[in-house]
Order: sequence, then C-alpha cells, then structure tokens
Amino acid sequence: MQFIAPLFFAALAGLAIPVLLHLTQREKKQIIRFPSLMFVRRIPYQSVRRRKIQHWLLLLVRVSALALIIFAFARPFIRQSNMPIVPGTGARELVVLLDTSYSMGFADRWDRARAAAQAQIAKMSGSDRGSIVLFSSGADIAVRASMDHSPLSAAIAAAKPGAGATRYAPALKVAGGILAETTLPRREVVLISDFQRGGWRGEEGIRLPQGTTVTPIAIGGSEDQVNVGVTAVSLARSTFSDQERVTVTAGLTNHSIKPVSSGTLTLDVNGIKHGTKPVQLEAGGTAQVEFEPVLVGNRNTKATVTLSPDALAADNTFNFVISPTEPVRVTVIDRGAGDAGLYLARALAVGEAPRFEVVTRLADNLPEDDLRRSAAVVLNDVVVSSPLARRLSRYVEQGGGLFVATGQRANWPADVDLLPGVVGDPVDRTRGDAARVGALEFAHPVFEPFRAPRSGNFATVPIYQYRKVTPAKDGQVLAKFDGTAPAVIERRVGNGRVLLWASALDTSWSELPTRGVFVPFIHQSMRYLAQYSEPRPWLNVGQVLDASTAALKKDAAQRIVLTPSGKRVPLQDEGSEVMELTEAGFYELRRASDKDVVVVAANVDPAEGDLTTIDPKLIAAAAIGGTGGDATASKGPEIPLTPEAQERSQRLWWYLLVGGLLLLGADTLMSNRLAKT
Amino acid sequence: MAVEIHAIPGARFMDPSVLARIGNLELVSRAVVDGFINGLHKTPYFGASVDFAEHRGYVPGDDIRRLDWKLWARTDRYYIKEYEAESNMNFSVLLDASKSMDYGSKGITKFDYARILTACLTNLVHHQRDRVGFVAFDTEILEHVPPSAKHMETVLHVLDRLKPGRPGQLSEPLHKLAEHFGRRGVIVLISDLYEDPEAIVDAVSPLRFRGNDLIVFHVLDPTELEFGFSDAQPFEDLESGEQMPVVPEAFREEYRSLVRAHIDALTQAFSSVRVDYELLDTSKPLDYALFRYLSVRSKMMKTRF
Repeated sequence: MQFIAPLFFAALAGLAIPVLLHLTQREKKQIIRFPSLMFVRRIPYQSVRRRKIQHWLLLLVRVSALALIIFAFARPFIRQSNMPIVPGTGARELVVLLDTSYSMGFADRWDRARAAAQAQIAKMSGSDRGSIVLFSSGADIAVRASMDHSPLSAAIAAAKPGAGATRYAPALKVAGGILAETTLPRREVVLISDFQRGGWRGEEGIRLPQGTTVTPIAIGGSEDQVNVGVTAVSLARSTFSDQERVTVTAGLTNHSIKPVSSGTLTLDVNGIKHGTKPVQLEAGGTAQVEFEPVLVGNRNTKATVTLSPDALAADNTFNFVISPTEPVRVTVIDRGAGDAGLYLARALAVGEAPRFEVVTRLADNLPEDDLRRSAAVVLNDVVVSSPLARRLSRYVEQGGGLFVATGQRANWPADVDLLPGVVGDPVDRTRGDAARVGALEFAHPVFEPFRAPRSGNFATVPIYQYRKVTPAKDGQVLAKFDGTAPAVIERRVGNGRVLLWASALDTSWSELPTRGVFVPFIHQSMRYLAQYSEPRPWLNVGQVLDASTAALKKDAAQRIVLTPSGKRVPLQDEGSEVMELTEAGFYELRRASDKDVVVVAANVDPAEGDLTTIDPKLIAAAAIGGTGGDATASKGPEIPLTPEAQERSQRLWWYLLVGGLLLLGADTLMSNRLAKT
Repeated sequence: MAVEIHAIPGARFMDPSVLARIGNLELVSRAVVDGFINGLHKTPYFGASVDFAEHRGYVPGDDIRRLDWKLWARTDRYYIKEYEAESNMNFSVLLDASKSMDYGSKGITKFDYARILTACLTNLVHHQRDRVGFVAFDTEILEHVPPSAKHMETVLHVLDRLKPGRPGQLSEPLHKLAEHFGRRGVIVLISDLYEDPEAIVDAVSPLRFRGNDLIVFHVLDPTELEFGFSDAQPFEDLESGEQMPVVPEAFREEYRSLVRAHIDALTQAFSSVRVDYELLDTSKPLDYALFRYLSVRSKMMKTRF
C-alpha cells in the first residue's frame, strides 16, 4: 500500500488530542454538599488527572475515527500489480504480441505466425479476454481486451509485415499496461516472433505485472533459403566536362548459409534501368557492386538498386536520392585592388563538398540581390560605412554569415553593434618573435578538423601583425595570439553568425595563406557561417523526417507529404513538422503549389535482415524478472495506469472516510448516553 | 386506664424515608410509638399515679378494685376512678439544628430523622406520663420548651416548624443548658457530632452533673459512613461553605477508617463518663432508638421502685 499524500500523516499527532481530553477531562462541576469536610482531606486534581482514563471504549472510538479520517486524507492506494494473483485459476487476460517487422516476411514465417496467433485465440475460454498487439519498432494495440473472438481473429488476419525493425521493449511495455489494468486473476503474454538478436538490447527496464506468464512462440526455420540484402550505397561525385557525375556503389550482405552465384543487382534512376550487375556472394559474405557513373541532372532524382528476388524481399531494394551538389554562395567584399583577395579566392575555388560560388564586390557597390542570395559574406580588410554595416547587420540577423578579416585598413562604424569585438590598433610583431596562433577551441566546428594530431598546426604559422581586439560581452574567443590576444572570435546575432579574424587574409601580415591550414580553415569557416549540412541521400524506416530542416524550411506555407503508398499527409507549420517514416520508398515533401518538391528516400533497417536469433527465454525472463520462461514475476516496474485504473486503485480513501464518519456518529451516541448516566 | 391503640401494622419497621413523606409528626409518632408499644405485650403504666383525674363508666374487663363504691352507693352505677398519672421523670430532647444535619442521601435528611425520632420519643414519653421538654440549638439555643406533661403538642409544633440553617457548635449551648436541668431526668442529645471527641465529651459532661441520665444519639447518613461517591467532584461543607476537590476513590478507605476511629473514640469517651451513646444510621428503622430509650428508662424505673 502506498499513499498519495503521506504528509497528512503529520496529523496523526492530533490523535493525542482525544487522549489528552480523556486524561484531563474535568468531571462535571456538580458540587456535592457534604455535612462536614472534617475527615475529607484535600487532594489536588493535578495529581490524578493524568492517570485516569475512565471511558476507554469512547477513547478508542474517537482515536479510531480520527485515524481513519487521516488515513483517508493520505489517499492510500494499492498498485494492481501488487495485488495477489493466484496463477492457474480463473479467467485469463491474454495479450498476443505479434511481430510485424519486415523480417517476418521471410519465407513462410508470416503465415505460421498468424496461424500461431489464431491458435492462441481459439484456446481462449468464454471468460477469457484477449488483446492483439502488433509490433515492430513500435507497438500498436489492434484489439484491446475483447472476449469476442471475431475481432481478434480479424485483426490477425488483417495484419501483415511492415517495413519496421523488431523491437521487443515497446511491445512488452504495451502488454504491461494492458495487464496492469486487468481485474482477471490470470495474466498471460504470448510473444510470437522470429526473435532476432537485433530486437533485444538487454534489460531495457521492462517488467510485467506480478503473476504474468510469458509464453514465447518462436517462428524460425527456413534458414537454408537465400537471403541477401542491400545494406548501403555510396555516391562518389565527379565532374566531367562541367557536368557532375555520381558513381553508385552498393554494399551487399549474404545473411544466409548458402552462397549466391546467380543473383543480379539493378540500378534504376528515375524509373529507368541504368545498369545491371551480376552478384556472387559466399555464405555470410559481403560484396560491393559499382555501377557506371550517373549523370546528375535535376535535383531529387530517385534512384533504386534492386536485388534479384530471394526469401526476404524487403531488404532487396534500396532507395536513395541523387541531387547535384548545391554550391555555397560566398560574397567577398574587398577593396578591388592588388592581390588582397587572391589567396581567399583560390582557397574557395578548390572546394568540392560543398562547392563555393564566389562573388567579389566592392564595399560601396554591393547589390542587395547579391547579399540576399549569399550564404556567407567575407569582409576582407575593408572600410565599412554605416549604411553597409546596417545592411550587413540585418543580413546576419536573418541567418547570414559574416567573416571579417581585419588587416591594416579594416574599419567598422561604432554605431552598429555587430562584430564580436571592438577592433583596435595594429600590433606589430615584425621585430622579435612573430605571434603564433594557439589556444584553439577544438570543440568548435571551425577548428574541429584540426583536433587530431598531424592534422594541421596553427602554432607553426608566424603572424607578424594583427589588430588588437577587445571581445564583446557575448563574443566567444576561439583562438588567441600567443595565448593572450584574441585571434578568432565568434558572435551569434539573431539567426546568423559572425567570425572575426584579427589579421589579414593575405601575406602582408602573416604567412597563414601560404600554409596548409589556410584552406581548411577558410572552408570550415564558410561551411559554419553558411550553416551548411550535407543532404542525406536516404533515411531508414523508423527515423523521422524533419520538415523544418528540409529544403522547404523557408516556406511557411502549408506543406504536404506524399507517402510511398500514395497517402497525402498535410503537415502543420507548428507541432508536427516531424513525421515518422513507416514505409520504404520515396516520400515527397511539397508545398501546396506543387513546386519545389523535396524527395526523401526511406529504406528498411538493413540490420533487420540479419535473422540471427536470440534465446526467447532470455526475453521472457527479463520481462517477468525471473530466470525461466514461466517463472512468476517479481515486483514489477512502475507501469503507468489509465486514469480509471488509478481511480479504482485509490478508491480506498472513500471507505476509510465513511468508516471514520460512522465512528464519529457512534462517538456522539456514546457521549450522549454517558452524559445522561 | 385504657390505652388507645391506633397502630399501623409494621409502622415501626417502616423505612424512615417513607415516614418522612407523611409530614405530620404527630401522626408519624403515634403510628410508630403505638405500634411499638403494641409489640411490647406489656404496658408500662401500672399504678404510676394517685392524683384523681375523673370518673368514667365501667366496662367489662376493668379492674373491679378501681370501682368507686361510694359513688355506686349514691348513684347505683359503676364508675371507675381515673387518676392523673404522676410524672416522676423529666424527659428532654436536645436536638442539634445545625446546618450539617440538613443532609440526606436516601430520601431523608438527618434532621428529619432526628425530628421523627424526637417526635416518637416525645410521644412515647407522653404516653408514659413523663414530662416532656425540648431544646433546639446550633451555636446557641434556638428553641426551648421546658419539660412538662402537657408540652407534647408544643414540642411537636416547634419541631414542625424548625429548620436547620446555621453552623453548629456543641459546647456553648450545652454548657448553658446544663444549668437549667436542675431536676433529675433523662436527656437525649441528637446530633451528628462533627467535633473532636474530647470537645464533645467536654460539652456533654455538664449535663450529667445533676444526676441526669444522658443518651446521645449520633445520627449519620449512610453516605457519611460509607463515602460511596465515585467521581472526582468538588465537595462543599454545608456549614462553612468551604469547597475542596475530592477524589473519593482514592480516599474512601482512609475516610472510613477515620470515621470508624471517630466513632470508636466517641464510644470510648462516652463510656468513660457513663453516657449512653448510640450511632443511628438514617437508613435504619426508628425502633432501635426507641428500644434504646426504654432500656435506659427501665433502668431508671428500677432505680426508683
């Protein structure tokens, strides 16, 4: 028994009140007139008050009434899982957990699984109740607590393997929830699955209610049949004659114990067969199959590699999306003379993942369109006027990136608060030792590639001059000259980011542009400022499609998701911008105007294709906390109850309160009777 | 001399509380005394007087020795000569009318019991032709009826209107009274004797100086003897008005022993000064007191004859 409001037990101290009343109760002040008190000696009341309780029964009634009322207010409740269950007698609460992961489609396993489920339903007696829970990576209750066999059989007949992977934990939790609410004396779970090892990750904190019996029914066999699956594809991009090409390489795994010698693998692009390759695999072996390069034309090109049919069809198809690489547009603002931007332009020109499309403009001639289309802007040692500074400030607040290199001429108007620091006078280190860049924040994305040893060392780069920068309050220093003066400072403004390099990007002040760390430093800075992330060619079923980060993120209009099975699912702007992928195939995310379609490929979890099994008793024992399959469960975990079940388990307070009030009534009657006597 | 008998059968055995409800002291006393005498089977009036009182007609059964032959000679009718009985004894009741006597737990107060007892004794004595006197006192003398053969009605009347109301004290009024009892007689003191035994004996002893026989009736309520209270309650002294908290259960045994010691001390003290002492429980019938009186009187009569 537990209590919802145990603090009310502090009121138990109030039980002392009736006891004190009984001890200190002064008798009625009826004065007895006596002829003479000659023989009557004085006896003070105090000496006897505390040792005389005359009406023990009345005291007992009063104390009991108070105690019952206090217990009622403490709201006791009994967990249904704690209720004693007598196994083996009475009606059953049967929960059939039926695995609908795609691996159940292997050979004839699904038919046998359904037959096993139907057999369990047929065994139900008239007083038994049954539930059907279909599970893969998640669990859905198809029929809940029904005594009628018809809906149960119909739910089993209508079920079919999906595209999900096997996960036992959600199914057992759902079963625990159903069993926790039951009032029937016997609780039983029948788990029908192929018991893949990948579906069980250890303990997982699952405990079924006490007294539950778990009966695993393993659907195995047919291991001698061929089962080859496509586990992944890799896309190698290349450019030929200014045209981007993608070479598709598919990874294959033979999960079966038989070698494959006559299989084929076909690549389809936009529904058109691009090529077919023979497949030869040893038992349990892996292979990679490379196709001829695919010319990348439009965005969101749907591509599929398909294996020749085998016993498990779901993992024979692998979908992915091919899109031309989207360049990152960078606008460089410099003074337009000399070679100040030479090293920067060269560094940006060699980028392939992503490519950088560089536009160079003068500080006094920056078209608004260029600014709007740019993912990042570089101020390469220029004097910035106040109007330009305000335009850049608005640009950054709206999500743009700004890289500021402060050489000899760099100047920033004081009335615009955008830079991560106040740029001061130049520091000349041409005499004596040159400054070195150190104290790098390797955790930051800009310097993360330099974290590993021999992956670039800024400390070897001499810096002869730099500008003294006083960091702003919200400026984060990412690197320092000689460990003291700020060298790289970042500031986040609105949705955008600003990076400040406190020296020049040419060789006038440092040797950085000629060193190996320069190009990755510039690339990482631009990727970071442009908030660039590589588009994923595919997702797995069970993962979520985040529409807010998809290519349509800037469009607040209503969006629609077209699923592989042809359903149109509208996405609201708020609340449901994520959608779980439940089918293998191509999801299309489009606006209401049907322009700018974003295609997302979804594949089954390749790990599910591995049919290696686990001992079912391990799962059953873990679920009931015992050591064997039919062991009686120990005390179960806290299983959330429905409000009705909670109310039922907490109803005890009502009886306590009524009992307390009845005792108070009895107390009144007894008191009156005693008063009369 | 014929004795009128209007006995109520068993009246002397009546519960005093029942008698107290009758209210008419004369009726009560007659009922008790006549019944009492009726049960004695002998009359105490033989030849007690020589003074002529009157003649009355002869009825069969009268002693022919008491025929007035001279009158028969003149009238030719039989007359019996009746004589005024000669009172040869003074009888006085000293009744304590202090406030403490106004207590009763069983339907009758000690004072009512004492009044009935006084009335009965008076009636009894009156029948014996003794002179009857009465004194009521508390700290002083409240009522004083000198002994006389004709004072019975007066005594009953005084008794009837007497009410206890003030604290009492024995020594002062009894010392005063001792001077008035010049003739030898019987004195009955009825009181609850709530004083020290020595003080009581000192107060009572002077009454015996003139050769009086003294009977002390110590009247107590059963509750005063048993102290049968249960709940702790405040007690108030009837005379002083003083209140004090009392826990009877814790005190009962000690109280009883104190009362017994008090009674024993009184018995011892009165015995040493030749005073008859009798404890009367108001729950017991009155005849016991009457017997006690008669035994004393017979002792005196034996002394006289």
